[in-house]
Amino acid sequence: MSESPVLKRSLAARLSDGRAWPWLLLVPALLLVAAVVLYPTLTGMDISFRQMRLNRPALGTGYIGFTHYLAMLNDTVFWVALQNTAVWVVVTVVLELLLGLMVALALDVELPGFRTIAVIVLLPWFLPVVVAGNIWALMLDARLGVINAALVNLGILSDFKAWFADPAWALPAAILVEAWHGFPFFALLLLAGLKGVPTELYEAAAVDGASLWHRIRHIQIPALRMIIVASVVLRAISLMNSPELLLILTGGGPGYSTQVLSLYAFQKAYREFNFGYAGALSVVMFLLLMVGSWVYVRTSNALKD
Amino acid sequence: MSKITRRAALTGAAGLASLPLATLKFARAADPTKVVYWHHFTSQEEFAGLKAVMEQFAKKFPNIALTQENIPNPEYMTKFTAAVMAKSRPEVSMVAPERLPDMLAMDGLIDLTARVNAWKLKPYFPADRWVGATQKGKIYGVPAFTFVDWVYYRKDWFQAAGIEGPPKTLDEFVTAAKKLTDPSKNRYGFGLRGGPGGYAYIVDLMEAFGTQFVVDGKNAMDKPKALAAVKWYSDLATVHKVVPPSAANDGFRQIMEGFKTGQTAMTWHHTGSLVELVRAMKPSEFGTAAKPAGPAKRVARLSYQYNGLMKHDNEQAAWDWIAFWGETDPAIAFLEATGYFPASTEVAKDARITGNPLYAAAAETTTFGTLPPAFVGYAGWSQNVVLPEFQKILVGQQNAEKAVDNMMKGLDAALN
Repeated sequence: MSESPVLKRSLAARLSDGRAWPWLLLVPALLLVAAVVLYPTLTGMDISFRQMRLNRPALGTGYIGFTHYLAMLNDTVFWVALQNTAVWVVVTVVLELLLGLMVALALDVELPGFRTIAVIVLLPWFLPVVVAGNIWALMLDARLGVINAALVNLGILSDFKAWFADPAWALPAAILVEAWHGFPFFALLLLAGLKGVPTELYEAAAVDGASLWHRIRHIQIPALRMIIVASVVLRAISLMNSPELLLILTGGGPGYSTQVLSLYAFQKAYREFNFGYAGALSVVMFLLLMVGSWVYVRTSNALKD
Repeated sequence: MSKITRRAALTGAAGLASLPLATLKFARAADPTKVVYWHHFTSQEEFAGLKAVMEQFAKKFPNIALTQENIPNPEYMTKFTAAVMAKSRPEVSMVAPERLPDMLAMDGLIDLTARVNAWKLKPYFPADRWVGATQKGKIYGVPAFTFVDWVYYRKDWFQAAGIEGPPKTLDEFVTAAKKLTDPSKNRYGFGLRGGPGGYAYIVDLMEAFGTQFVVDGKNAMDKPKALAAVKWYSDLATVHKVVPPSAANDGFRQIMEGFKTGQTAMTWHHTGSLVELVRAMKPSEFGTAAKPAGPAKRVARLSYQYNGLMKHDNEQAAWDWIAFWGETDPAIAFLEATGYFPASTEVAKDARITGNPLYAAAAETTTFGTLPPAFVGYAGWSQNVVLPEFQKILVGQQNAEKAVDNMMKGLDAALN
């Protein structure tokens, strides 16, 4: 009876001496990742190959191959949504990055009141999307909106404009709202990056007589390159997958002029209960993000650093 | 003195340790039965009405702990679907008739037929009250209240323009809307709801022009009739220009603000917005009227809103809650807070309803009003196809014929 602990200890000792030991230690974490990440992802992909219409149980839930993917080729709304998604993600990220960079550079100077200003600048990011969306819907309202009133008073508009009812303006207006809401994300990360730039570099630049522009161009932006690449990828993923703001402001309309893939997938799933088609749309979004991120990271040369 | 053995001490300790558990068991026996109620009430008035009904319920059923959970209407089916899929259903859910087929298709509601047939208040709910909650002879919901579609119109503007009363036909409607439109004053004849929720009026008009939608599970749309309806409706914006320029994006809030702030002369909604308008406007400024008749039919919806049970747990307590809405006191309390009509004929005889002239139009509508269409796939088709295709006409992206073609194709896809 007294041999058993010894045996156990020797087993553990033998295992810890072996080459498999590091892998055994990873097992709990791998199981967790499989349960939380892998299983839902694979289930989502599996659904995209099935007939999953919750309100049509007679159709069953069997495999139907690439039917949903082939249907997409002839789905005009899908192509419009794909195009809108590209504009929505690219233009919004560029706007947010530029705004965020300007704000980060300004805040890095640490003028008096810097902390208060930093908190005010970051406020939009703290607002839930639903709140931000409704605030802007009211501010841009064609009857009572303060922005319309200001533009009319300044003589820029002759009359109040229904921004979200005009297909030429609905998407740009929504992009501006999203940029306002999202730029503090970039400002925060870039400011953190700027704080890590060694002061010796600035001192050397000053000795060399570098102008403000040269300092930004040759010291600050290169120092931020990794952060810019990572934050752009993160933000693009977030924008691609989040239909909330467009759902509040336009619902994808008028017509399909602000329809994007995430919103379309949501509507297919929860209005038509066609989870199979919605799953296929999600897989397409997943692939687009994977490929887009890979190309962007490769072309940015960020990994060479 | 007896010696306390180790065994006795352990037994005593175990007994002491089990005391709290025993107390807990007694406490549980006296705990009220929990009922969770999902609804999609939105306005302050609706919440006040719900609170009044819940307070009366708590007095009558002190042993039932009722919890209400508000789900925004546009997300209601999302949450409902997730609850069914994840097996985390509440006891009670609000059931809109147009959602019933989808809810039943995913096996989200339980059969109440036996309970309803044994209910003492059933005689006050005529057969038409149950249609929206019945499928294949089984009843899945109890009527709680009614939305009656009607027209709000600016009584003072009509008088000033010399128009005799609200329009009774669609032709009269266009004539009045044109007379009352003056873009230079930012005044328009009609607040058209072309944004969220606007699909219902397009569907209603198609029916008013004579088309059906689904017969024996097949697409039964009559293209010329549907086209005439869609053209009539979109012409208000594109030809007659009697609606605000924001119409393609206007939802409930926008059409109500447009009417209240003096931008529009008429708008279509249901009795549910009456309390809000009574508070915001003078009695001399606005009136209510039954919806105008179309060439084939006069269509106004009577949307009985139901409460149904989603699971068998705490079934008696959950039934007590949904049956309570049929009683006179809670129905009148809810009416006073919201303006929503009771579904019971007994409650409808109350002097507080029959004595109010604003309700006359609703009483008239109950004589010809019908339930909204209800077929599997209606929600997806009407919101994902009908509304955006109609919006495209409003903003000049396509003509009415192309829109109707796409609506018919969309209906085929929804049914196949």
